[in-house]
Amino acid sequence: MTENGTKLTEIERDALAEIANMGVSRAANSLRQMVGEQVLLSVPTVQIVTRQEASKLVERDNLKRLVAVQQSFEGPFGGRALLIFPEAQSLELVRSIVGDEHSLDDVIDLEQEALAETGNIILNGCLATIANMLHRTMRMSLPSIVRGDGAALFQSAGSAEQFVLFLYIDFNIKKRDVRGFIALLMDLPSIAALKEIVNDYVNNIQRQSPSHVG
Amino acid sequence: MLVKTADFVIGPVFDAVDIGLVLLDNQQCIVGWNEWIARVSRLSAEDVLGKNLCDVFTDLRSGRLPDVIDDAFQVGSSSILTHALNALLPLQGEGGERLLHNIVVRPVVSVSAKYCLLQITDVTTAVSRERLLRERQNARYYAIVDSAPDAIITLDDSRKIQWVNGSVDDVLGYGHSELLGQKIDILLEPENALLPILAKTSVHREMPTAVSVVGRYRNGNTGHFEVSIGHWRADRRDFVTTIWRDVTERVTADAALREARDALQKINEELESRVEERTRESEVALRQLHESQKMESIGQLTGGVAHDFNNLLAVVLGSLGLLKKAIPRDPRVSRLLDRAIQGAERGATLTTRLLAFARRQELKVEYVALQKLIPEMLDFLRHSVGPNIAIHTEISPDVCAIEVDANQLELALINLAVNARDAMPEGGSLTIACRNEVDGRAVGLAQGPFVCITVTDTGEGMNEGTLARAQEPFFTTKGVGKGTGLGLSMVQGFTAQSGGATRLRSELGKGTTVTLWLRRAREDLDMPTADAESPELVKARHLRVLLVDDDILVSMGAADMLLDLGHSVTEAQSGSHALKFLESDSAFDVVVTDYAMPGMNGFELAQRIKERNSKLPIILATGYAELPAERSIEFERLSKPYTAKDLAAALEKAVNS
Repeated sequence: MTENGTKLTEIERDALAEIANMGVSRAANSLRQMVGEQVLLSVPTVQIVTRQEASKLVERDNLKRLVAVQQSFEGPFGGRALLIFPEAQSLELVRSIVGDEHSLDDVIDLEQEALAETGNIILNGCLATIANMLHRTMRMSLPSIVRGDGAALFQSAGSAEQFVLFLYIDFNIKKRDVRGFIALLMDLPSIAALKEIVNDYVNNIQRQSPSHVG
Repeated sequence: MLVKTADFVIGPVFDAVDIGLVLLDNQQCIVGWNEWIARVSRLSAEDVLGKNLCDVFTDLRSGRLPDVIDDAFQVGSSSILTHALNALLPLQGEGGERLLHNIVVRPVVSVSAKYCLLQITDVTTAVSRERLLRERQNARYYAIVDSAPDAIITLDDSRKIQWVNGSVDDVLGYGHSELLGQKIDILLEPENALLPILAKTSVHREMPTAVSVVGRYRNGNTGHFEVSIGHWRADRRDFVTTIWRDVTERVTADAALREARDALQKINEELESRVEERTRESEVALRQLHESQKMESIGQLTGGVAHDFNNLLAVVLGSLGLLKKAIPRDPRVSRLLDRAIQGAERGATLTTRLLAFARRQELKVEYVALQKLIPEMLDFLRHSVGPNIAIHTEISPDVCAIEVDANQLELALINLAVNARDAMPEGGSLTIACRNEVDGRAVGLAQGPFVCITVTDTGEGMNEGTLARAQEPFFTTKGVGKGTGLGLSMVQGFTAQSGGATRLRSELGKGTTVTLWLRRAREDLDMPTADAESPELVKARHLRVLLVDDDILVSMGAADMLLDLGHSVTEAQSGSHALKFLESDSAFDVVVTDYAMPGMNGFELAQRIKERNSKLPIILATGYAELPAERSIEFERLSKPYTAKDLAAALEKAVNS
């Protein structure tokens, strides 16, 4: 990575984590509405990595069978958003959302659609939050399910999307803990635009409370 | 997308698509409602156009759809709401069946305004196809697992039973749903090989895939099972599928087979040991038979030799006696004659013992009271054994009388005392004890009461080898010239001939006990009367004697004696010869006949004579006890070798009776 600003400063990282947490808590609200129980989503860390690094990160614990909900987006910045789980955890997530009363067979039947919708909710939540902050709209595609290892998830038809805004995400639904990742694949201008947005956000906060200057 | 057609085409297209299309304005009011949605919702466009969507379907307010539509307007997001996670619209198919559907919400931006398009997709077919597919797959799966003869049981990681196949009923006796949720432990004995395997996680790859366990049927009985174990992992959880095969019958059959084999082996071993025992027994019997055959042949040989020798001694003794009378009193000649007579007498004693061993001795059976006999001979015994040996007697007053030859019994006791003395060169004690025995079968004798006389010394004792040979004639442990080796043989022959037995028990260094088993006297046997007057030489009466003997030498000796006694003698060499003499001359006073003769023996002759002339006295001279016991009393008897004195006494007795 060159020093042309793909690295996040500490303040930028904190700010992005805050924005992401706002996004997932919005998604959590939607999920709670569906599940009828408390749903907690949190994003503990944020970083910008290359696609290769990202594919390694998602194969944590040597779990190479991954499933992802993918949506592309356009707007002030564009790219692809991925919500990624190890395959076994995806089923666990669906089970926790559709409820224990379903048999394993039913859960398998529902997995694809339920996962797509859940991913859709979470990714929309994040993207919508950013769009809201910008008072702009973004066009987002419908979700699709992708399966494969890290390299398969992060491969790209073009070479434009070089960078990945990589977020860990923790789900706590019905006392079950599920860990996954959110990855926003973006090209360099998009990253720059994102950083600009983040900096505006930071400046905005600093203007509102000057004592907070770090 | 560019549509170069006029607006009037868009309307029919909107109605022609095979999904539901609903177009909402930014107030969420319905501005488009195609025919497909009108058909499945049973609401025409006229009914709903211009109305708020949530007013048409009031249940929607509690769902996610209003927010999603809002998001589409506000931030341009596209969303999908699936039947899986949402309760959506009340739509029905042509047959009135509930339509499963998903709704895609997309923002639509035109030049003049923003809209939101809802695309409603019927997924009923897809869902039912998936279900059908799954059911078909499951049918194949269930066809396999339910037709399996073994019980198939799936457990979760807490050992709880998650799933069972239909065979659990046949194999374990449980109904299909009875086991679900139970712990597998209820199917197992507390100590088993399966639980430790289940306790480990699937990470342990080298775990066994099958174990043998003792399982429990529903009725509480136990059986043997081979359990195959398959670990699998799904949905982040560990599962174990176990396949239970009931092998109780096989195990039972194996056990029965093993038991039968063991029993057979045991029987074989028993048989072997019994065969060994029998072989040993038969060897012992054979050895005993050989021993008795040996003793028998030795006895016959000894008896034969002694008999002939006895006859010769009779001649020698008779001749010497006559010679002594005939020769004038020369002290030197008389001494020589006395020595010759003594030597011949000792020879006669020896042959008597040999005959005793051979059981061919002439026994004078009489009623003997041991309480009287033994004390009377103590002095003599003390004299025989010397002052170093103390003699004790233990004879209780109730010991019964016996029927034996008293002289032979005394001789036997003296022999035993002398043996005891020789066994105790340093001195010791000798005990003679008598007791009653109810039955002789314990020592192989006939049934009936016996009296035992035991002679016990405190001497050197004998080892096994010596003990085994002790009763053989001429076997002696005494130095050369010290003993004849006939002592015990005599005792043994005497007791056997008397219907009893001799038993030896000896321990090296502790002493020897000889037990004489002798028949108890019959109650009716006459008490001994006082002995007749001492035999005097009968010279007063002249007798005509018919002397019968096949041995000319013996006959001549006897004839000389008779002549010397003052009788007249006619000699016959055989029984028939003697009968001829009797036919031609009836004036004989007495017949003296040898017993053992070729052709007609002495007894037969005596009987023939008695048939003709029952009053003619007959004397049977014999060295044998060959006479039939029950008839022997009929005739007077004379033991060979005899002296002139014996002969005279016999004649006296025969003629006077």
